[in-house]
Amino acid sequence: MTKEGVQGATEEEEQQAQSKKGLKKQQKEAEKAAKKAEKQAKLAAEQQSTEEDDFAKDRYGVAAMVQSQQKLDRALVRVQDLTPEKADQLIWLRARVHTSRAKGKQCFLVLRQQQFNVQALVAVGDRASKQMVKFAANITKESIVDVEAMVRKVEQKIESCSQQDVELHIERIFVISQSEARLPLQLEDAVRPDGEGEEEGRATVNQDTKLDNRVIDLRTTTSQAIFRLQSGVCQLFRDTLTNKGFVEIQTPKIISAASEGGANVFTVSYFKTSAYLAQSPQLYKQMCICADFDKVFCVGPVFRAEDSNTHRHLTEFVGLDIEMAFNYHYHEVIDSITDTMVQIFKGLRDNFQTEIQTVNKQFPSEPFKFLEPTLRLEYTEALAMLREAGVEMGDEDDLSTPNEKLLGRLVKEKYDTDFYVLDKYPLAVRPFYTMPDPNNPKYSNSYDMFMRGEEILSGAQRVHDAQLLTERAIHHQIDLEKIKAYIDSFRYGAPPHGGGGIGLERVCMLYLGLHNVRQTSMFPRDPKRLTP
Amino acid sequence: MPMYQVKPICGAHAETDLPTCMYKLPNIHAQKGNSCTPEHALQNGEVDPAVKALEARQDEIMRKLHELKAAVEGLAKTVTTPDADLDLTVSSSLSESASSTTFKGVTDLDNVLGKDLGALRDIVINANPAQPPLSLLVLHSLLCQRYRVLSTVHVHSSVSGVPPQLLSCLGPRHADSYARHMFQLGFTLIWKDVPKLQMKFSVQNMCPIEGEANVARFLFKLLAPYPSDPALATMVDSWVDTAFFQLAEGSTKERSTVLRALNSALGRNPWLAGQEFSLADIACYCCVLQSGSASAAPANVQRWIKSCENLGHFSPAKLLLQ
Repeated sequence: MTKEGVQGATEEEEQQAQSKKGLKKQQKEAEKAAKKAEKQAKLAAEQQSTEEDDFAKDRYGVAAMVQSQQKLDRALVRVQDLTPEKADQLIWLRARVHTSRAKGKQCFLVLRQQQFNVQALVAVGDRASKQMVKFAANITKESIVDVEAMVRKVEQKIESCSQQDVELHIERIFVISQSEARLPLQLEDAVRPDGEGEEEGRATVNQDTKLDNRVIDLRTTTSQAIFRLQSGVCQLFRDTLTNKGFVEIQTPKIISAASEGGANVFTVSYFKTSAYLAQSPQLYKQMCICADFDKVFCVGPVFRAEDSNTHRHLTEFVGLDIEMAFNYHYHEVIDSITDTMVQIFKGLRDNFQTEIQTVNKQFPSEPFKFLEPTLRLEYTEALAMLREAGVEMGDEDDLSTPNEKLLGRLVKEKYDTDFYVLDKYPLAVRPFYTMPDPNNPKYSNSYDMFMRGEEILSGAQRVHDAQLLTERAIHHQIDLEKIKAYIDSFRYGAPPHGGGGIGLERVCMLYLGLHNVRQTSMFPRDPKRLTP
Repeated sequence: MPMYQVKPICGAHAETDLPTCMYKLPNIHAQKGNSCTPEHALQNGEVDPAVKALEARQDEIMRKLHELKAAVEGLAKTVTTPDADLDLTVSSSLSESASSTTFKGVTDLDNVLGKDLGALRDIVINANPAQPPLSLLVLHSLLCQRYRVLSTVHVHSSVSGVPPQLLSCLGPRHADSYARHMFQLGFTLIWKDVPKLQMKFSVQNMCPIEGEANVARFLFKLLAPYPSDPALATMVDSWVDTAFFQLAEGSTKERSTVLRALNSALGRNPWLAGQEFSLADIACYCCVLQSGSASAAPANVQRWIKSCENLGHFSPAKLLLQ
């Protein structure tokens, strides 16, 4: 019993001790909860009170959707125009939020407009409240905002922005269009140079992700620069040729018969029959020459049903085509085309330097070099150069792609030019409508043009005599019935003529030294991609 | 040297039994023995009268050639010295014949440029438009007299604008320039932003040649071989270096020293390297012209400048400086 009693006593004691501990714990917990509640209440109260006396309430917020309710006469300033001359002016601006970073009572935003950006600052003060800073910090990236701000000069250059000498002190900020918080790709990742990300363990975006989300990818500085430059190529092409007296023509893209050979064309249903998508405007260009337009060019889509998944093939691309009548020698045509190309290169060199630099930041390459007038080599010279370098090939063999590249390197080494013309190809490797050389039946009046060792243009003096054309077609074993319309167009007197065509995407790619034609095609089409 | 005749050691017609398993061949010694006999007749210093006659004829021809040479040299001197009273048309028509006598040695393009691969052999020269290579333009016009030269001028994209006279410095376009394979030699001048003049020929087998002096030496070899006398060759080389380093790039002091040296050398000889017009004269003349010290030059140099101008080779350089 005593034993039991002792035991019981000890148990009791233990229980007592336990309960004491438990009590303490409970007490503490209760205290904690009370404190928490107090804190929350305090916070809520604070919030309420501050919400109530947020003096900057009408200086920020999400603006009502613009449905053209009113027409404001507010002048918006472009980001690129934000220079020290604008210092201490109050301006309005519409831009995207590129990045935002909150830091205590301040929030730094980078506002972007195309390839230009500027640093902006919201700081608690007599213009902005704590809540306004918080709101600014929570605006999702890529949202479009309207901002009223004071332009201020900065003492230290802002290296990360294109406008390095000024920053904006925001006084009002309204969200015009909100972006979703999760972006399929980050713009910084998309412009990171190859290889750099791997070293620092940062992400890079692969080509397919970029192309799948092209709308966002096109917002990057690199894409902006590429397509501005592409527009420049088109503009310069048109301007130069118009100045030379060329006429711009439009040719049909739905055609009844395959213009060259017959392979590599897309078939489309055409009411009860089928038709083809034009793989070259050549036939129509030539018909315009026969119709006395003298010199013509056209800019338009070209379709090739080639199932080749290489860095330089697309199934649809923009063709810049030239065709002109000449007086006595087809070199008049070569001179016109090469001069046009040189004018384009010069225009790009002189007017698009910032774009070229921007692209170079992500894809470094040597500047494009060229000669004026353009270097013209003959096929036999190219063969001699290749043979000297140890390549074995026959006199009448066509250049293979590796040999083309090697030749490009050899020519670059000797003449230091990325653009040249190779003249007098062997007749055997050219299409049937190519004019044979008058002195040597093995060669022809045809030429290829190369940029950075890759072929961009293939052209020739065309046979403009129906008789000779028929002979050549028979020699090439082409069904005369299929090309009857083509031959017939030369029966009523045709001036001697020649021409060629270049692919806009390929020229841009090679000029910038990029490695994939999809980068210079806005919405590329290849055997594996039909969207977006 | 005739040899003593020795009697055959063994009988010429010794009968031997040959086995039947071997091919039969004619006796190779028998024939030789027969043909030797007439030569053996002339012994002990006797000379064939036919050889004697041949020697006499050769001497006669050599004597006539020497006479002709002396006559031509006399003629050339009257043509190339300023004392000769010639009007312009005569001097220009004669200068070509003078130049063909000046560079006597026959050079073969294959020797200097390597094997012909059946295509145009193109010499590419990169020059800075700020320093036009006058001497090379002179050599170019001399090359044009010797070979069918395809001359082209390009402007490299590293240079934004080039004065028109630099674009036409290689003369008017050749009428056949559309057919590159019809020419023996290509001369491609590229105006480019280069610190030093550069020449490229074969990318595979030859490194680029740098400096106007060295390129001038290379081009001159296409016109005439260097003098075979090593002392003379060294003298030509040294004048070329003096011209490009001290006349063209040197200070006023250096320049006047060179002009004095030129003066004394030209006091002894009509041309810098002795009796014949050479690369030394081309280089020095162009550098004197380029440095603008022609008017202040001493008497012998003045006389030499006039002789150079009488040759008519330097018109491309003078055109460019105008």
